[in-house]
Amino acid sequence: MRLSKRRRVTSIGMNMTPMIDVVFQLLIFFMTVSQVSEVNRERLELPRQPGAEDQRPAVLTINVNQRGELIIGGIVYELSELVALVADELVRLGDDPSRLTVVLRADRRVSSEFVNRTVAALAQLDIRKVRIPVQVPD
Amino acid sequence: MKLSSHKVGRDTRLELPMASMIDVVFLLLIFFMTTSAFVKTERELDSGIRVQREAGNRPSDFEPTIIDVVPSDGGYVYRLGGRELRSQAELERVLRGLENQADGAFVRVSDAVPFDVAAAAIQACRTARFLQVSYVPLDATP
Repeated sequence: MRLSKRRRVTSIGMNMTPMIDVVFQLLIFFMTVSQVSEVNRERLELPRQPGAEDQRPAVLTINVNQRGELIIGGIVYELSELVALVADELVRLGDDPSRLTVVLRADRRVSSEFVNRTVAALAQLDIRKVRIPVQVPD
Repeated sequence: MKLSSHKVGRDTRLELPMASMIDVVFLLLIFFMTTSAFVKTERELDSGIRVQREAGNRPSDFEPTIIDVVPSDGGYVYRLGGRELRSQAELERVLRGLENQADGAFVRVSDAVPFDVAAAAIQACRTARFLQVSYVPLDATP
């Protein structure tokens, strides 16, 4: 008499749930990190030039938009405020201007007057090197 | 007594639920496609641009090339010595013909020109293999 039919079903299943969890975690992490790193970059139309070197990280990124406004980390500064900010940063770096890497992101359409004023103000603080990013043409 | 034939039916099925995996892969693909379209490649024009207000007044053994970027006739020109050059390509060509690339160059920029024109002058110097390019606010020069 056959009472039951013992059938052993061996199912090798791959549990994908933790995998998806991890992938989403990574996705959210990279999205957040990339947004944080972009916060210092205003949406500007930079000069379209091939450039000379690849970008390197900077201590201070100053954005000059088309209207000539000075923007650092999303906040608009007056030139005098910028000077005070840079001076504070210099103190933090042990009054060594060579340790302060300044990147001046200026809109290609802005009058050089605003760039000149900024550059002259930085020169007063003995900052002799300013890096100018450009947008590589397509 | 053999009650059953004891025939064990061993069904070995390898199940890989791919639907969720495909969801994630497509999501990532769309994400990177969308973001890459907005990210514009940036490079640095020069890492050694110096800010010097006293460009022309310092006694020095070397003679750097001085390029003035100034407005002219409703447009902008690059003044190099006695010459007035109207385009970046023309400036670059003249700069390539010079032999004092090691001495560096000063790009003196008038307040009245768009920054794009000033950046083009710096780029021309770098392309012409000038080792040191200095940005000088022209109107601040004594």
